[in-house]
This record gives sequence, C-alpha cells and structure tokens, in this order.
Amino acid sequence: MSEVKTIISFVANEENFAFDAIKVRHILEFGKQTKIPNTSDYLLGVINLHGNIIPIADFRKLIGQDEPENTKDTSVIVISPDDQISSYIGFVVDMVKEVIQVNDSEIKPSIIDGHLGFIDSFEGTVKINDVFINIINLNDLIIKIEEGK
Amino acid sequence: MIDKFREKFVEEALDNVHDLEEALLLLENNKQNKEIIERIFRAMHSLKGGGAMFGFNDLSDFTHHLETVFDWVRNDKLEVSDHIISITLTAIDHIKHLLDVGDLTNDAEKIEQKVFISKVQSLISVIPTENSSKVERVIDEVINTDDGSKSYLITFEPDKDIMKNGTNLFYLIDDLNDLGNALSVPFFDPLPVFSELDPIGNYCRWQLILNTEVPVNEIKDVFIFVEDECKIDISEIVKGDITSNQYLIELVENARQSGNLIELQSLKSLVGSASSKAVEEPGLEKKKVLLKEHKISSIRVASNKVDELVTLVSELVTIQAQLNLYAEKSGEPNIMGLAENIQKLSRQLRDNAFEISLIPLQNELMRFQRLVRDLSKELGKEIDFIVEGGDIELDKNIIEHLTDPLLHIIRNSIDHGVEMPDDRIKQGKSPKGTIYFKAYYSGATVIIKVSDDGKGVDPVFIRRRAIERGLIDKNAELSDKDLFDLLFVSGFSTKDVVSDVSGRGVGMDVVKKKIGEIRGEVMLDSEVGMGTTTTLELPLTLSIIDGLLLKVAYNNYVVPISSIEKIHELNKGKISKTLNNIITIDDHQYPVIDLRDIFEEEGTFLGDEQLILVKYENKTMGLIVDQVIGEYQTVVKPLGRYLKTHQTVSGASILGDGSIAFVLDTNRLIHYNSFKRIKTK
Repeated sequence: MSEVKTIISFVANEENFAFDAIKVRHILEFGKQTKIPNTSDYLLGVINLHGNIIPIADFRKLIGQDEPENTKDTSVIVISPDDQISSYIGFVVDMVKEVIQVNDSEIKPSIIDGHLGFIDSFEGTVKINDVFINIINLNDLIIKIEEGK
Repeated sequence: MIDKFREKFVEEALDNVHDLEEALLLLENNKQNKEIIERIFRAMHSLKGGGAMFGFNDLSDFTHHLETVFDWVRNDKLEVSDHIISITLTAIDHIKHLLDVGDLTNDAEKIEQKVFISKVQSLISVIPTENSSKVERVIDEVINTDDGSKSYLITFEPDKDIMKNGTNLFYLIDDLNDLGNALSVPFFDPLPVFSELDPIGNYCRWQLILNTEVPVNEIKDVFIFVEDECKIDISEIVKGDITSNQYLIELVENARQSGNLIELQSLKSLVGSASSKAVEEPGLEKKKVLLKEHKISSIRVASNKVDELVTLVSELVTIQAQLNLYAEKSGEPNIMGLAENIQKLSRQLRDNAFEISLIPLQNELMRFQRLVRDLSKELGKEIDFIVEGGDIELDKNIIEHLTDPLLHIIRNSIDHGVEMPDDRIKQGKSPKGTIYFKAYYSGATVIIKVSDDGKGVDPVFIRRRAIERGLIDKNAELSDKDLFDLLFVSGFSTKDVVSDVSGRGVGMDVVKKKIGEIRGEVMLDSEVGMGTTTTLELPLTLSIIDGLLLKVAYNNYVVPISSIEKIHELNKGKISKTLNNIITIDDHQYPVIDLRDIFEEEGTFLGDEQLILVKYENKTMGLIVDQVIGEYQTVVKPLGRYLKTHQTVSGASILGDGSIAFVLDTNRLIHYNSFKRIKTK
C-alpha cells in the first residue's frame, strides 16, 4: 500500500528541492518587493497579491547562499501551510522545474545529514532520472520563520 | 428551520443568562432591592418558557425550580442570603452548559442535575414556620391559580379591504389561540344589499379573551403585518386564568347572541366579584397600547455580517483611492468632482460601518466581576471590584482579543497583588482590598487601567533578576519605568520567579504579545506596598484609520493622524546631537528619533526633511521623516502570521497605485527605540 504524492521540484543554489504540491498556491515571476525594515536578511519584503500582503523569503538565503543572483528563471513559489491567507508566504528560488508524482515508497531518508543553512529537516529524498530531489519539511520551516530566528 | 429558531433562542437565552448574572452580583450588595429581584425572576421566567418551546426540556425543568425560589423571594416568603446567591450562580453555569449541549443524554449528568435540583428545592423547604400567616398565604395562592399568566381582552376590528392583499384572518385567530387559551367571539356587521356586496370585503369583527404567559408584545406581534389595516386593542383584564370562569362563559355567550361588544369594565367587575384578591393588585389599570407606536429600535445581526460589511467598506476605500489617483492624472474636472464626492461618501460610510461594529465593554466586565468574586472567595481574600467606564465601546474584534489578557491581569492582581486580610491589617491597610478597573477614551485610543492596592512590584528585584538573566548589564542605569518594561520581555518572567518575590509579571510577555496583536500597548507601574497599575492602550478600530502618508528612504509609511500633534519643516542643523538628539522648536525642546536610523536605511535623502511631533504617553516626541506626502485614508491590512509581532511596523496598506505602505505604531516605535538604547548601553 503505497500512496502517491505530488511534488513540485525546483532548483536553488544548483541543488534540487521540492515542496508538497498540495501546499503550493501560486508560482509568480520574481518582481519587486517592498522592503520591510528591521527584519532578518532572508525576508526580502512583502508583495501585494490580489489585495493581500504576502511576505517573501529568499529560499536561497535560507539554505546558506550569500549573494544569490536573479535571472529570468528566478521565481516565487507561494505556499499556504494551513489554508489561511494570513500564513501565505512566498519563497524565491532559482528555477521552478516540474510537477512530479512519486510513490511514498520511493522517498528515502534524506541524504543531507544535519542541516542546510536554515533548514534542518527534510521529509526525505527521491531520485528521479539520476537527480536527487530533497523534499522540504514545510511545517518545520514555517515555524522557524515564524519565530524569526 | 427549527434549528434556526433554536439558534436564535440560545442567543437570546445567553443574553438572559448574562442579565441574570449581572443582576445577581448586584443583588449581593443590595439584598432588599425589589427591582433586581424582579429582574432575576423575569430572566428566569423567559428562560423557562423559551426552553420548553424550543425543546430544551431539561433547561426548562431546571429553571422552573430556580424560578420558584425567586418567586418566593419576590413575594417575601424567603429572604435573599449569600447561600441562595451562590447556589444560583452555580446554577447559572449549569444553565450555560444546558444551553450548550441541549437536553442531557449522559446518565451521570442527569443524576447531577437531579442532585442540583434537590439542592435548589432545599432552599424553599426551610421557610420560617413560626410565621403562620405567611404559610397560609402560600396555600392561598396555590389555590388561586396564579401561574404567571395573564388574561387579556383583545378587540380586533379589521378594515373592509383587509383581505384584498391576501391576509387570511383565520390564521391570525389561530395564531392567537396558539399563544394560550382563547375564547373568541365573532361579530357580524350588517351586510349591504347584494348588489353592493363586495365578495372579498370583510364584514366581521372579533373579540377574544386570551389567557397566556407570553408578554403583551408577542400578542402584538401576531398583528404585525396587518396593523395598518385594522384597529386592535389589547387590554389586560387580570392576572391568572379566567377562561374557565363560569360567569365569563355566560358573558361571552350573551355577547355572541346580542352582537354587542364585550366591555372591559364589565369583565373587570366580573372578575372582581369572582376573585376579589386579584383586583387588589396594583397596576391593573387598563393598559392601552396602540400598535402603531410599536417601532423597532434595534436589530440583531450575525457578527460575521458586520465583519463582511467592514471588509467591503475597506475594499471600497481602497478602490476609491485608485479612483482618486486616476482622476488626478486625467485632470478632467468632471471626474475629479465625482471622485471627491465618492471620497466624502466612502468616508461617511466607513465611519458608519465602524460604529456598527463597536460593542460596549460592559458585556465582558461581568466575567471579570465573576472572576474576582470566585477567586477571592477561594483564596480567602476580600476584594472589591470597582468599575468605571463600562460603557466605553470598542471594535468587537478588539474586545475578543482583550478578554484573555485582561483576565490574566486581574487574576494576577487577585493572586499576587492583594494580600490576605490579616497581612493587610498588619500593614495598616483596610482588610478589604480593591481592584479598580477604569476605561476611558484618549484621542483615538482607549485606555484601560487595572489597579490594585496590593503589595506591588519591587524594581530592585526586577533589576537583580534582569542582570542574572543577562538581559541588562550590571552597571546599566535604568529608571524604574525602564525596569518595569523588562517585565514584558519574554524570558524574564518565568514560573520560578513566582516563589521568590511577588510573582508579578508572570506571563506578562504573553499579555504584551496578545495586546500587540491588536496594535495595543501595555505598561506597568507599581509602588512597593501601595499597589500596581497595569495600563492598556488600545486602538479604537483595527481596519481603517485616518493616516498621514510619508516617506523614509524608498518606502512609504503611514502614521495615524490621531497620534500626530504638529508637523514642522526641518533644518538638520537645529538638532543638537550631544544628548539623546534634542531639537528646539518655538522654545520647546523635544527628543527626536530619526526614522532612517530606526529602519537602518543608509544614505541621505535630499528632500525636504520634516519633523512630525507625536504624542507618546505624556510627552511629545519628534520623528524625522524624509518627506510628508499627505493625508490618507488607510485600510490597514494585517501583516500575517510571520510578521505580526514585528517590532516597528504594525500593519500594511495598499495604496491607490497598488504599492504597499507600512503602518507605524508610534508608541511601539518609540518603545523599540528606547529598548534599543537600553541594550546598547
């Protein structure tokens, strides 16, 4: 009995990651944000998304990249952890790749030992076409951002 | 359909329960007050009646017993005692539970209720037997069928055309019959000759003698749709049921035969001869109430509808800002005129919508009063809870967020503030402590102060504790006020502090966070041995404010106009950097904060810097900004989960061109600044 999970994979700092597709609400072009004073470096600012104020975090900074470069592929993935608009948040990534269906059984414990920048737990890793994709533990990440560490 | 009615009933019942609780607490200090007793009785009575009607049978049964107790009290057969009040208060909790769950299904709970009922019944079994005349009266009254109902004479004379709009008169009569026992007498007017007869005209009149428990308003409600098309007269004949009275039946039969209307006077004299007791009662004069005067002065609206209204108005204001921008750009006078009018209207609409969503603090105060009473009894302390300004109104969303922090503050005062009576006497205080709750408006904010006359908090202790915890440096020079502020820093007040000294400040960081979520501020002031005052400063409303739009570096910010005193042109040379950035304007010195420093913006802006003087507590402070853009109706949007506890920004707003401006809370900002100073010292 294995269940199928849909993930959206993306590239950040030349590595492959994925979010659970159920939690993804929008994928936007990387644009201008309004900078918020007195916040952590990784919080780039807020945007106006259909009349709601959504914070944007740079995923690349979260995983420890110092000066990420923005190209025409740079995108923002807007995530909704609990369906409340108040907890929407956008993550800036280098490139959004594809939507993939994986069986639970294919997901192996993460190959990243310990933590990667800000993120210290992954739901697991899948290998697709010789590429390792790390699936992000969203709840964990969200709580950390909320605490503002 | 019936569920909807049940919901409505529960809503109303909760109001009744609330009223009951309030009256009981009043009664405690004023045990002889007839009016209060009457109010309690009435509330119970409607709970009982409504309960039975909407299928809350256990509730109805339970309140019936309580009602009996207060009926006795009302008729001087029983004296109000603390015991009665205590039992009734616990009973109210039970009633709330019953309203919540409906009829009990759980056996254990059923037994519990039975035990409770017998407890309530025991209250009335101990009547003073030596007073035999009172006992006689009891028996007397039981015979006298005074069951709380009243008999009315209703004269209903519909207009000739009443049936033309589809009214079915028989339904009305049936509705009346449903309210209780009714005897009805139809009267037929002489018919015109056949050629002139209007086939759908009405040629009848009715008189009814109705015995019912429902108030006269409900009888009137039956006629609510036809009141313009008929003459109605409802007069109270007597308390109690007379519909089975032999004389009455005769009288009615006579009227039916003769076709003459029954006169109220003859009914009254009839009843008077039948039961002289009833006529003795005062207030029996004919109560003629003209239906036309009945106007609805308030309506009940589900709170989510109000929320929706406020949201819609907010959207409208945002769109209006866009329109303004467009109109200005187009430069066309017609559109500019229209935009201006729409701005005026939307402003009025906004104020109106907000007024609707305001509710008085009073409703919540009852919970606090109850807390003080229960908790102080439990701890063996004597505490008076004095309230001032309960009629202050606040946005309902604010009140919702306010209750828990306030409960916490008051609990702290009872628990750790006010001392035991013995200790108080030793210190030369009155054995009875006081908690003083005061609310008042101050500009566009509401101030709530909770003070006690307990032992207070020792700043020396806070200082020691803060140094131990590494929050401040050993040599830091801090005023008492700065020290009290430390109580709100998370990690300062933990459980182990409690045993040590006053235990004050437990969870104050949580209080601050909660109040911060509604853009409020908390301050604490205390004097050892004299007591503690906690002050909350709250915005009147959460969603739209009149703001001043300004610029710092590349960002737009909004400062609430209510907190601004003056705006000055600024010449940077005027600031003396030596002490705390002081500026002198018109012979006054003000401390100033450069917002560029606060927001850590680099570089200098070559615009016309301006100084905004804002109120901060009792002082005036200056804020230096790069540019003042102008007045702006600001729809405040929450910053969401991740930024709601942000140190300097309390919300955001979307401007007409779609860009974002941050809403500044000047109090929070200045607080942040002084805290930053403490840290760097």
